Amino acid sequence: MEDLKAPSIDYAAVAPILILFGAACLGVVVEAFVPRRARHAVQLTLALLATLAGLVVVITQASTRVTTAVGALAIDGPAVFLQGAILVLALVSLLLMGERKLEPGGAFVPQAAITVGSEADERQAARAPGLTEVYPISLFAIAGMLLFVAANDLLTMFIALEVFSLPLYLLCALARRRRLLSQEAALKYFLLGSYASAFFLFGVALVYGFVGAVDLASIHTAAAESDRDPLLLYAGLALLSIGLLFKTAAVPFHVWTPDVYQGAPTPVTAFMAACTKVAAFGALLRVLYVGFNGLSWDFTPILGVVAVLTMIIGAVLAVTQTDIKRLLAYSSIANAGYLLVGVLASGERGLASTMFYLVAYGFSVLAAFAVVTLVRDADGEAGHLSRWAGLGRRSPLIAGLFTFILLAFAGIPLTSGFISKFAVFAAAMEGGQTWLVIAGVISSIVLAFPYLRVVVMMWLSDPSDATPTVSVPGVLTTAALAIGVAMTLLLGVAPSLLLDLTTGAAEFVQ
Amino acid sequence: MEGYLGSYATLGLLLLAGVLFFTAAFGANRVLRPSAPADPFGKREPYECGLDPVGGDWAQAQIRYYVYAYLYVLFAVESVFLFPWAVVFDRPGFGVTTVVEMAVFVAVLALGILYAWRKNVLRWS
Amino acid sequence: MSGGEATLFWILAPLAVIGALGMVLARNAVHSALWLVCTMLSLGVFYVAQAGPFIGMAQIIVYTGAIMMLFLFVLMLVGRDASDSLIETLRGQRVAAIVLGVGFAGIVGAGLSRALAGTGAIGLDAANENGNLQGIAQLLFTKYVFAFEVTSALLISAAVGAMILAHVERAKGEKPTQVDRMKARFAPGSYPGPKAGPGIFATSDSVATPARLPDGTFAERSISKILPVRELTSEESALKGTEK
Repeated sequence: MEDLKAPSIDYAAVAPILILFGAACLGVVVEAFVPRRARHAVQLTLALLATLAGLVVVITQASTRVTTAVGALAIDGPAVFLQGAILVLALVSLLLMGERKLEPGGAFVPQAAITVGSEADERQAARAPGLTEVYPISLFAIAGMLLFVAANDLLTMFIALEVFSLPLYLLCALARRRRLLSQEAALKYFLLGSYASAFFLFGVALVYGFVGAVDLASIHTAAAESDRDPLLLYAGLALLSIGLLFKTAAVPFHVWTPDVYQGAPTPVTAFMAACTKVAAFGALLRVLYVGFNGLSWDFTPILGVVAVLTMIIGAVLAVTQTDIKRLLAYSSIANAGYLLVGVLASGERGLASTMFYLVAYGFSVLAAFAVVTLVRDADGEAGHLSRWAGLGRRSPLIAGLFTFILLAFAGIPLTSGFISKFAVFAAAMEGGQTWLVIAGVISSIVLAFPYLRVVVMMWLSDPSDATPTVSVPGVLTTAALAIGVAMTLLLGVAPSLLLDLTTGAAEFVQ
Repeated sequence: MEGYLGSYATLGLLLLAGVLFFTAAFGANRVLRPSAPADPFGKREPYECGLDPVGGDWAQAQIRYYVYAYLYVLFAVESVFLFPWAVVFDRPGFGVTTVVEMAVFVAVLALGILYAWRKNVLRWS
Repeated sequence: MSGGEATLFWILAPLAVIGALGMVLARNAVHSALWLVCTMLSLGVFYVAQAGPFIGMAQIIVYTGAIMMLFLFVLMLVGRDASDSLIETLRGQRVAAIVLGVGFAGIVGAGLSRALAGTGAIGLDAANENGNLQGIAQLLFTKYVFAFEVTSALLISAAVGAMILAHVERAKGEKPTQVDRMKARFAPGSYPGPKAGPGIFATSDSVATPARLPDGTFAERSISKILPVRELTSEESALKGTEK
């Protein structure tokens, strides 16, 4: 019997992942032992420090290009860049989650097990401080995402997918206000998410049947060299794509998005919109660019149709929305379509532009949801669009910032939205995917309409009694909003900083 | 009785013997017992005295039982991973590493119990 | 397939399919769960028969044991009687689901049988060379060690989540103590003595039959508020013969 050898792990390269997992476990211990009164401060500090530490380590690892843990993990350019992006965006999301000024006790329910609408529920809704378990749970999700973008075999990728999905399902159920809506959102997300995971697993099984291994390098080799009927490989890729496209919220796997974005606590929605997108597209890029790049002639038309559908349907349905969170949800679906255009552009340009888009969109969407948390009345956030009428007269600063973000979403020059769309479309043109660019431009025009409608409503309507007040944000939300808006502006004015970074990082290791 | 499946033939025989024994015992009982049950008024009521049964026979379980059931699943999964560990951990050149690997795994799961204990989930109140 | 394996397959495969169909079609949720047990046990035996004894046993221990127990717990939470509402909120949903489901199964089945026709199993002996369990251990603790360790993170976040969603944490003082109860009992306006027992002075020892006061009226306090008051008929209160 041969001797087993202990696996060699490049601990420096995987340190960010380990730091986040360690901090999450520490968070559970904190939850168990630190007195209730101090818990929130300790947990928030721990979460922020861990994310920051992870980010610092990622930056020091910027030039690492290795595969480690016997090929299970690839810490290469895209992985390091996307890990950095996830950590920065998660840091801003954690700031939003930590806010307790806007609502006494924060955005999360104090005790999720108390029956909705009972006497105890009313008592806890009024004043009890929110759950602090959200921080360790979020750290688990972030750690899972870091692993997901670095996973170099499909098995590790599947486990990472579960590790970051499960905490998200939980976080969705923990809203302080409108708890039934929140629980419904969590249940929908959980059921559909498990379904999508099952498709992914089925795909892994079929690919294994063809290749005899699950690591992406072997898949690449087998796809190029095997002379067997590639039906299994195609079927496996199709099922894998379903699992990944579900997480990216691409049509026709998008139906959960509006309900979940609306029901989840707004900081969690922001976290999902920014970080989950990065993680899901990171994994999709790796699967398509490393494992299946030999099949790009075969999958591009099909995924192209998905991209066109995603852009058009997301844009058209956004027009009909009357709730701001649902509007942003459909906008996020349409943006998944633009990102898919970048993915299908293929080559280094496609990879770089997609990564740029992910970061730019992440900052803008975080800022947008930060504004959503601010506009509130006695019942919590004022979601209905009609309530936003006249907001520009009442609080011009917040309305001005929100207008800027919406213009960025619409792709007006001097914002990051313009640069990122331009980069993605230019890459697609270069990659010969003109039809995708045409569909993208048309859908961008359609999508500008709902954004401009909100802008017009805020500035050109007179405020009525129903117009909610804008709460004075605490330090944390102010910081999050400022970072989001500043980055949206910075990446619009001086995009070369990040563009250079993405171009330098745009190469996978096998 | 050869080959891979042959080793399971004993198990199959045992199962078959179990089924036969069960059928034989109950069959014998059925054949031998006298059949003259008394059937007075009220015998088939749920209670001869006391409460009339109201509603169905189902009572909703408390959700807190779910946590116990889940903790059981957690440690069932852990034990599944312990089996392969048990066959390799004393392999030369590999021992300490596997012990550490398993220790990390078990320690993380133990956090769950720690958390449950501190949150009074395990105390019946 | 050898003769024994083929026999096993043809006995258990129909059972597995019947179990799966029964699980979908059964009206009662508990019956559904038991059908599922049937399918899972059959699958466990299949794994064993395909030279994967460890995964077969894990299937039986973890799935038919632990996971099915979890299923039954959830069913008891929701209610055994809560049969499905048959009203469709989306019109034509069920038909569409059946058509799409059967279509998908057809495509996958046809595709797989086409792709795998004439393909023999390879690599089984190599994988089980040092024993099945040893082979799994070798992969688990070297190549997939990261995935293995991360599984613990998955389990712990699920555990914390289950406790958040299912456990109500009570602060001190929220639950009345013995002293509180005592004070409430002797507070003005409440009667501190024991309540009259039900059935006293009556012809029945039923807890649903109220006690009678000296003036012959019923003592309403003697029975629980949630019970309907019952007076026994003379037939019911007569002595019952236990012999035939």
